[in-house]
Amino acid sequence: MAQYFADIYEAVSSVLKGMRITFKHIYKKPVTLQFPDERQVMPERYRGFVHNDMTKCDSCNICAKLCPVDCIYIESEGKGKARMMTRYAIDYNKCIWCSLCTENCHTGSITMSHDYDHSVYDRRTLVYEFMDPTQETIPCHRATRIDMGWWVEPKEDKPKPKPKPAAEAAPPAETAPAPEAPPPADDKPAPGTPTPDDDKGVEN
Amino acid sequence: MDALIALIQNAPGAANMSAQALHNTAAALMATLMFTVMALCAIVFTWMERKVAGFLQNRYGPMRTGRWHGWAQAVADMLKILGKEDIIPAEADKGLFVFAPILVLLGSLLAWAAIPWAPGFVAADLDLGLFYIFAVSSLVIIGILMAGWSSNNKWALYGAARGAAQMVSYEIPLALATIPVIMYTGSLNTQDIVIAQQGGLANWYIFRDPFLFVAFWMYFIASIAETNRGPFDMPETESELVAGYHTEYSGMRFAFFFLSEYANLFLVSLIAVMVFLGGWWAPLPLLDVIPPALTFIIKGVMMVFFNMWVRWTLPRVRVDQLMHLCWKVMIPIALICVLGSGIIQMVRG
Repeated sequence: MAQYFADIYEAVSSVLKGMRITFKHIYKKPVTLQFPDERQVMPERYRGFVHNDMTKCDSCNICAKLCPVDCIYIESEGKGKARMMTRYAIDYNKCIWCSLCTENCHTGSITMSHDYDHSVYDRRTLVYEFMDPTQETIPCHRATRIDMGWWVEPKEDKPKPKPKPAAEAAPPAETAPAPEAPPPADDKPAPGTPTPDDDKGVEN
Repeated sequence: MDALIALIQNAPGAANMSAQALHNTAAALMATLMFTVMALCAIVFTWMERKVAGFLQNRYGPMRTGRWHGWAQAVADMLKILGKEDIIPAEADKGLFVFAPILVLLGSLLAWAAIPWAPGFVAADLDLGLFYIFAVSSLVIIGILMAGWSSNNKWALYGAARGAAQMVSYEIPLALATIPVIMYTGSLNTQDIVIAQQGGLANWYIFRDPFLFVAFWMYFIASIAETNRGPFDMPETESELVAGYHTEYSGMRFAFFFLSEYANLFLVSLIAVMVFLGGWWAPLPLLDVIPPALTFIIKGVMMVFFNMWVRWTLPRVRVDQLMHLCWKVMIPIALICVLGSGIIQMVRG
């Protein structure tokens, strides 16, 4: 009989305790982020979709060679100063976000962006073409680009990168061209290019 | 009702109406009004339920539909459910399957007739008002049993059997808890019960004596079980029985069950307000400026909130615990309340 009343007491007191706890939470600010309107600020080193700045890329192929899953496709034609890039694409179906490409890019053109919301209806659309579709070729050589006014990074600020075998580490990101360097107006990134401030995704 | 008849009598062109015609017109108007209020409360309370659940769990709940806090979500859900395909399982007992949701809704709607919204404003001013409410709300049990059994589905049958057992059991403490109030009032008329509580907070039945205070909580717990809501939602346990007795229902027939659930929720809340919490009387003389019907509805909505708060706090109990709670704990306590309150009334004279 004593147990019976003890049980009733325990039930009532524990229910009251639970009710008090949930009531406290009514006044707390909800932790929900209203996703498309509000976004979480990603940590500095968050590895989002890989982004390549075509104004800096000189088609050196280091990234493509380093990539453990071969998800970067670079095509070029010609040799020396006349070498022209014809394709730069990243296949996000394969990409494992290992960041080996960005750590070893000697121009600092390829970076991990903070983008993550690129869901698509068809996986074929996850192969992102970074070349402007209006341009068939892009000159790869730096001197040619400086002549065209593309390469905005001043040459003397940068210690001369020693040519190394592709597999070895290139100069780190600090020596890369200033990331804020604005590209010329006529060189907009290709429509398929994910950029950090591109909010609406790409393919849909 | 009389006020409504007088209103119709004074309307242009109604001077020549016979007494019977007047009565019928007033009754039809009242029934339409009750049904509208019931449908509206289902829409408002589905939205409210989701918002309350959200804020209790540090979430927002629906935010997208409509401008302000997703207020149009329930309307959108209603439209969606209207457009759904109406499926009757091939092996189901068709007649009962179709009739069950109507019966469930009927049970809730009939009980609304005796709710006293304001002085003189009650659809059916019955001498046996409270008894009538408890009697017709038992129809819901038959409807639920019918729905589960006719579905020809093992989950639905389990849910229906649990629902019937639970609701039949909990009607006893529910009715027992109101007996002290009936003894105080000396009447089962719903208006009389409210009128007897006039004169501020201290005259509300819940504060008349300690046994009535306990009786209120007995009523409250039993009413949660009667409406099949958490923590006593055994008939529809999503984790075990898919959706319980309405597993096989879709579209508008499912909406009838849903409508009935929220109509019942508001109904038991209004009965709690009517019987224990002073009905349409404001708690303080200062608040007498609020129209009585509004006071009544505000109190009812607060009780609904309390119901939701309980639902989103406590985990579901087991079937045997449910029966233990009813037969071994609540009925004895309710009986003691009746006895104790009776003694107090005798001593006070």
